Amino acid sequence: MTAPGLPELLAERRVLVVCGAGGVGKTTTSASLALAAARTGRRVLVITIDPSKRLAQTLGVSPDAPEPTVLAPERQEAVGIREPGCLSAWMLDPQAVADRTVRRLLSDAAAERLLNNRLYRNVSQVVAGMQEYAAVEALHGFVQDDRYDLVVLDTPPSRDALRFLDAPSRAGMFLDRRVLRVFVPGSENPIRKAATKMVETLLDLGLGAAAREELQHFITRFEQVLTYLNRNQVEMRRFFASREASFLLVASPAQEALEEAYYFETKTRELGLPFGGYVLNRSLDGTVGRPMPEEVTLAPDASPAVRSAIAKLSRLAVAERDRARRHQDLLEELGRRAGQGFALALPELPAGASDLEALVGLAGRLVGDTSLPLAV
Amino acid sequence: MSDTPRMDVLSRRIHLVTGKGGVGRTSLAAALAWAAAREGKRVLLTQIGDAEGGYSAIGRKFGRDQLTPDPEPLGPDGLRGCHVWATRGQEQFARSVIPAGPLIRAALNSKVLRKFATAVPSLHELGVFYHLLTLLEAQHEDGRPEHEVVVADMPATGQTLALTSLPDILLDALPDGPIPKAMRRGQAYLNDPAKTAAWVVTLPELLPVTEALELIDGLRATRVHPAGILLNRIPEDPFDADERRALSALLLEQPLHGSAAFHRIGVARAAEERLRSGTDLPIFPITEVPDADSPRTEAAIEPMLRDQLASFLS
Repeated sequence: MTAPGLPELLAERRVLVVCGAGGVGKTTTSASLALAAARTGRRVLVITIDPSKRLAQTLGVSPDAPEPTVLAPERQEAVGIREPGCLSAWMLDPQAVADRTVRRLLSDAAAERLLNNRLYRNVSQVVAGMQEYAAVEALHGFVQDDRYDLVVLDTPPSRDALRFLDAPSRAGMFLDRRVLRVFVPGSENPIRKAATKMVETLLDLGLGAAAREELQHFITRFEQVLTYLNRNQVEMRRFFASREASFLLVASPAQEALEEAYYFETKTRELGLPFGGYVLNRSLDGTVGRPMPEEVTLAPDASPAVRSAIAKLSRLAVAERDRARRHQDLLEELGRRAGQGFALALPELPAGASDLEALVGLAGRLVGDTSLPLAV
Repeated sequence: MSDTPRMDVLSRRIHLVTGKGGVGRTSLAAALAWAAAREGKRVLLTQIGDAEGGYSAIGRKFGRDQLTPDPEPLGPDGLRGCHVWATRGQEQFARSVIPAGPLIRAALNSKVLRKFATAVPSLHELGVFYHLLTLLEAQHEDGRPEHEVVVADMPATGQTLALTSLPDILLDALPDGPIPKAMRRGQAYLNDPAKTAAWVVTLPELLPVTEALELIDGLRATRVHPAGILLNRIPEDPFDADERRALSALLLEQPLHGSAAFHRIGVARAAEERLRSGTDLPIFPITEVPDADSPRTEAAIEPMLRDQLASFLS
């Protein structure tokens, strides 16, 4: 059985999770993947939890939007998206996701009190992994939303992305009732009462009594929210492991980025998640066949500036040719590592793929279409 | 470069080396610590976070695969290194507020409390913060600080700001008690520009420059003083203006080996200009090792970075 290549993944999967080290072009790749799928007629949403909000700039989307923003029709048309294809983008706002969940789950008065709890007000900063809970919760909603055929999820740098996969088990820890009962008074069992008293004593020493009470209130109430989130997290964990999802790994030729990618590949397989393949960004593999500067035949009347520039370029060209060959080898190596998965390369875009035109070029390369121009 | 100001490293206690992923933060933090140690300071190089994935990125810069949360010698000149661990900081904090005896033993041995610590409100960041504070305050018997200069390789931008904003958040959430006391002790270092400097590492490309400018604003919003920008991996530029014009036209017609390098030079010039127009902070340019990702030159990178940083210090 042949494993699906990237065009098949883009056509069939419902969620693509894009992981990789920082600075390798993950966000750009995510946007290009989404664009490539939308160009084939799918309705695609790309979500980023990258706090730099770069994707917002690229796609012209507001970072504060509570709902996904559909790319303007004239821009959709300009990048070759035709009905029913559609591209939307959304920046994750963990606090907004949490607030919405609180309002849905609690009575008005209880919700109001929790929303005013000082710990809750900073929930996205104070609850470890809240960003990840919120990402998974949002994804859960979007997967069931019939506005989208495919959701592309951009992730924070890869070690964090692992935390995002761990989030459900962390939530499980938080929700361990044995743990929680100890922090919240109200038990009649004398042993448990004594345990609660001891924990209160410890917390009073550590936090002060007023803060301890606020913490108890926060834990009691927020537990309900997390119980709800956790159900969806468990469901999404199953979903991630299914054939509906695929995990793509973005790397660059830099050694550290590659090590992160290999580490993540191993983890993905350990966790039983479907590994799609590698995207090698900033690769010069496609330039291997270019001529060297000294091979250029200059016109007899070529200016001295051209001649000296060509001579200087020759020095840079030797190193660049070597790099191109190494990148070609590296791509082969990634192909071997990917096994059943794919490995493909995207060229370096010196100006950064910050406009839609560049994204279209990258989107073309992702599905093996080299006819689209790259703005190099 | 004569118009480059000096990096004021030796007079300050803490140097937070910040920047987005992939800009060379860890290498520059290591080089900075090395340069400060060579000036005769007792320097501690730390990395925020456990050595996940089984190896230590800063340790590797000194030929060590592993580093623990306890400072240990990293090389010559008294340079020492360790990781900053949340669990270590939590334990230290617990010991500082709970009297010695059965209560603290129960607290540290309790599985329930340990679970609580991994799962609940900001205890992770608190642990990181407290461990860092302990390292800063550690003294020799004669009262001299164990480490005169602490260089911290910070996590990626978002987590860095989560950490630098922690004191304000916790002081808002918990107005009194031992945690705010520790936070204020930390703030006395972190929010004092005479004691703490943040160095923003970035690359001469457009998006990294934009993000560096955002990070500078973010640091200022959390009252941490950005002292300068380390503009890393500036490509060698052998061309004059006439040559650049001539090559642009030629390469448009006919891509050659060297095209990518030439384009990068143009991007780097534009990005540096944008950075200079976007901030008044001093910019410390760090030249790229030519052909940096070649296995042949890899070994040459660290010494070259160290030398460049050493030149900014004196």
